[in-house]
Amino acid sequence: MVLSVTDLKDKFRNPGPAELELIARYAMLPESGQRERAFEAFAETGLPHRRMEAWKWTDFKAAVKAVEAPEQGAQSAPLPAAGQAVIEFTAGGVTLPDTLPDGIQLHERTDAQALSDAEEVPLGAMTAALAGRVGGLDTLIIEVTGEASAPLHIVTRGDRDETNFARVSIIVRPGASLDLVESHVGGAGFSSFLLELSMQEGGAVRRTVLQRGSADEAQAITAVVNLGDKSEYVQTALAFGAKVARLETRLTHQESGSHATLNGAYLCAKGFHADYTSHVRHGAPSSVTRQVTKGAVLDGGTGVFQGKFHVPRTIGQHTDADMQHQALLLEDGAEIFAKPELEIYADDVECAHGNTSGALDPNQLFYMRQRGIPEAQARALLTEAFVSEALEEANDGVRDALLDAARSFLAETVA
Amino acid sequence: MRPMLKLDQLSATVGEDDEAKAIINGLSLYVPAGEVHAIMGPNGAGKSTLSYVLTGRDGYEVTGGSATLEGDDLLDMDPEDRAAKGLFLSFQYPVEIPGVPVMTFVRTAMNAQRKARGEEEISAPDFIKKSRELGKQLNLTPDMLKRPLNVGFSGGEKKRLEIFQMMMLEPHFAILDETDSGLDIDALRTVADGVNALRDPERGMLVITHYQRLLDHIKPDKVHVLAGGKIIKTGGPELALRLEKEGYDGVLGEAA
Repeated sequence: MVLSVTDLKDKFRNPGPAELELIARYAMLPESGQRERAFEAFAETGLPHRRMEAWKWTDFKAAVKAVEAPEQGAQSAPLPAAGQAVIEFTAGGVTLPDTLPDGIQLHERTDAQALSDAEEVPLGAMTAALAGRVGGLDTLIIEVTGEASAPLHIVTRGDRDETNFARVSIIVRPGASLDLVESHVGGAGFSSFLLELSMQEGGAVRRTVLQRGSADEAQAITAVVNLGDKSEYVQTALAFGAKVARLETRLTHQESGSHATLNGAYLCAKGFHADYTSHVRHGAPSSVTRQVTKGAVLDGGTGVFQGKFHVPRTIGQHTDADMQHQALLLEDGAEIFAKPELEIYADDVECAHGNTSGALDPNQLFYMRQRGIPEAQARALLTEAFVSEALEEANDGVRDALLDAARSFLAETVA
Repeated sequence: MRPMLKLDQLSATVGEDDEAKAIINGLSLYVPAGEVHAIMGPNGAGKSTLSYVLTGRDGYEVTGGSATLEGDDLLDMDPEDRAAKGLFLSFQYPVEIPGVPVMTFVRTAMNAQRKARGEEEISAPDFIKKSRELGKQLNLTPDMLKRPLNVGFSGGEKKRLEIFQMMMLEPHFAILDETDSGLDIDALRTVADGVNALRDPERGMLVITHYQRLLDHIKPDKVHVLAGGKIIKTGGPELALRLEKEGYDGVLGEAA
C-alpha cells in the first residue's frame, strides 16, 4: 500500500473511532483505483452527520461511535424464500445459490468497480470502498438477459458481527425482467448494502425490501437506479428501523417513457429510527414516478421521510410525478420528520405532492369500539390498514409476509 | 316486563371543562324487552347526544343520574364493553374505515364481542353463510361486502350496511340514530324490513328520528318527545302523527 493509515486519516475531518477503524480496514484491502475513488468520496464527508442537510435527521456519525458487534445476532427471519434463488451476504462472505433461474447470470468480480454518483451517496461510497476481501469477491454482478424464471432473493444477515458490507450490481438487458427480494435483517453493529441497478430498454424490475435491525445496530441500504427507455421499476420497502437505519434510493429516469413506483412503509417502536429517503431525477422526457410512503411511529421512535423530484428544464418535459407521504404519530413522544421537495424547472409537467402526519381519527376509533373492537385492537387494525396501502405492489410471494410482519409488530406494540 | 334500557334523571354535558354545555338535563326513560320506542324532537333537542352518551363516546360527560342495560350500569363501561354487553348504535353518519373490508370488519367485531363474553369464535363457513343471507335481504352484493367499510358507498348503502352489521351482531338493544336520513322510499322499506326482522321479545330498540315517515314502517310501541334534553311528552304511535300535523311548536307549546 502506497498510502499509510496516517495519510488516509488526513483525508477525514475529525475522524471518530469508528472512522479510524474503517480507515484501517480499507488499508488492508487490495489497492485499486476504483476503490480509491469510492474511498475518497467517502472521506469527503466521513460518516454522514447532522450538519449535512441530507442527513440532518439521521446522524450516522453520532449513532456509530465505534465499530462493535451488537448484543445479539439477527433477530428477525428473512422474508420467505420458497421458489427463489437466494444470495446471502454474511460477515464471512457470500453464499450463492446452487442453481440459477433461467435468464440470470452471475459474474463474481474480484476487482472493485466504478460507482457513479458516489459523491451523492456517502454510505454507498463507503460500501464500495470497503465491500470485498483480499482474494475474494468484491462486487457481485448480476446480469439479467431474459425473463427471470424465479425471484432472486438477497439476504444480508450478521451473527453478532462488527460489520457486514455488501455490494451488488444488476444489469437488466433490453426487455428482460427480474423480481428482486431483499431481506436486510441486521445482526451486525454496522450493516451497509449497496445496490446499483441499471435497466435497459423495456426492462422491468420489481424490488421488494424488508429492513429490520436491532436497537443497537446501524443499517444503510443504498440503491442507485438508472432507468432506460420505457423501462419499469416498482419498489416496495418495509422498514422497522434500527438504532439508526436509512433506506435511500437515488433514481434517474435516463431515457424517455420510463415508469417508476417507489412505495414504502416504516414502523418504528421505542428506540428505533427509520429513514426513507429518495431522490428522483427526471432526466428524460415523458417519464412517470409514483410514490406513496406511509409511516407509523410509537413513543420514543423516529421516522424520517425525505423525497425529492428533480425535473430539469428541457429534458424533464412531460414529466408526470406524484409524491405522497402520510404518517401516524401513534403516541405522544413519537417523532416524524418529513421533507418533500419538488425542484421543477420544466414548464409542461404534472407534479404533485402531499404530506400529512397526525394521530388516528377518533371518529374511526369510536365507531370500531362501538362495534365491540377493543381500543388497542382498533388502533392496530386502523394502522395496519393505513400502512398496507404502501405495500400493495410488493412481490406476490412475500406481500403477505410483509403484511404479517406489520400486523404482528402492531399487535405487540400498539396499546 | 323484563327491563332493558333504563335511564333515570340522566344529565350530561358536551365539550371541555370550562366550555362544557349541558345537553341532557334529567332525562328518564324506560324501554322494556320486546318493545320499540321512538324518540322524536326538534334540532338541538339532544337526540344524537343521547345516543353518544349511552354508547360512551369521548367528549361527553355524565354529570348526574344513571343508565342501565339489563340491570348493568352502562356508564361505568368502555364503549367496547357496552357493545359486548349487547348495545348497538346505528350511526347517523357511518364512518369510513379505509383498508378494512366490510367482511373483515364485521368478523373482527363479532369475534371481539364473543371473546369478551367468553364465547367461541364464529367459524368461517358459518360467518360467510350468515353474511350472504343477510346481505341478500338488504340488497348488498358479495362484491360490496368485500369493499372497505363505507368507503365509496352512497348514503343509502351506508345505512343498509349499518343494518347489516346490526343483524350480524344481534344486539340486545339497538339505538337507531336517524337511520331514515338520506334514504329514498325503497331503501327506507329495505331498512325497515331489516329492523322489523329483529323485533324480538328478548330485544329492545330506540328509534331516533325527526320525521314520522320511518314510523310508518317501524311501528313503535311508544313515542317520546325530547326537547331541551329531557322527555317532555310520551304517548302511543298517534303522538308521532300529531307531531307531523301540528309540528313541534304545537305539541311543545301544549307541554310547556
